[in-house]
Amino acid sequence: MSREEVMEKITAIFREVFDDEELVITDETNSDDIEDWDSFEHISLIVSMEKEFSLKFDVKQVNTLENVGEMADLILKLKGEA
Amino acid sequence: MNEYTYDEIETGHTESFGVKVGEADMESFYSITGDENPLHKDESFALSKGYPSRVVYGMLTASYLSTLAGVYLPGKRSLIHSVATKFYKPVFVGDELTVEGKVSDKNDTFKLLTIKVSIRNQKGEKVLKGEMTVQVLEEEENE
Repeated sequence: MSREEVMEKITAIFREVFDDEELVITDETNSDDIEDWDSFEHISLIVSMEKEFSLKFDVKQVNTLENVGEMADLILKLKGEA
Repeated sequence: MNEYTYDEIETGHTESFGVKVGEADMESFYSITGDENPLHKDESFALSKGYPSRVVYGMLTASYLSTLAGVYLPGKRSLIHSVATKFYKPVFVGDELTVEGKVSDKNDTFKLLTIKVSIRNQKGEKVLKGEMTVQVLEEEENE
């Protein structure tokens, strides 16, 4: 899976979770950029990504991520494709 | 009150309890919410709309899902994240309801339970169906 494909899937998840088809997600996107991105929605995002990419995150790893780009890199790493 | 930990609950785990909806419950709900809609407050209005009597507030019926998670599944360590419900049949004062929840999925990363919920009346008819996501909080060291 390419990084572009990962970002496309991540974007689809963000649009679903925040119910906003216009949402634009970049490597730099973080919780400061989306008003409704609180701790509960954060869990929804991570759970959705685990299902989409068929993997399980370590919660400590997830808590160190600064932005969506780092999440995409982590997904690629866990999928053995980094 | 149950005190299940996350690890003690398996997919398929089911809890249920019974409750009878009384007039006092309707009054309490009205006192909290101020919902004076005549379908719930005015017997003649309810009859005029084809109901045999005043209809119990849908959200009062749904409120028993709080009991399900907070007292039974998982109980003490419950933190409800989401609730999605549909109402299938009206409930009336005096109805005896059975509230049931069954764990359909677990997320180990966040210790989340996905619980399929249903509420049936004394005739066995489904009055409510839905899904909850409930986090199981960590045990305290001094528990």
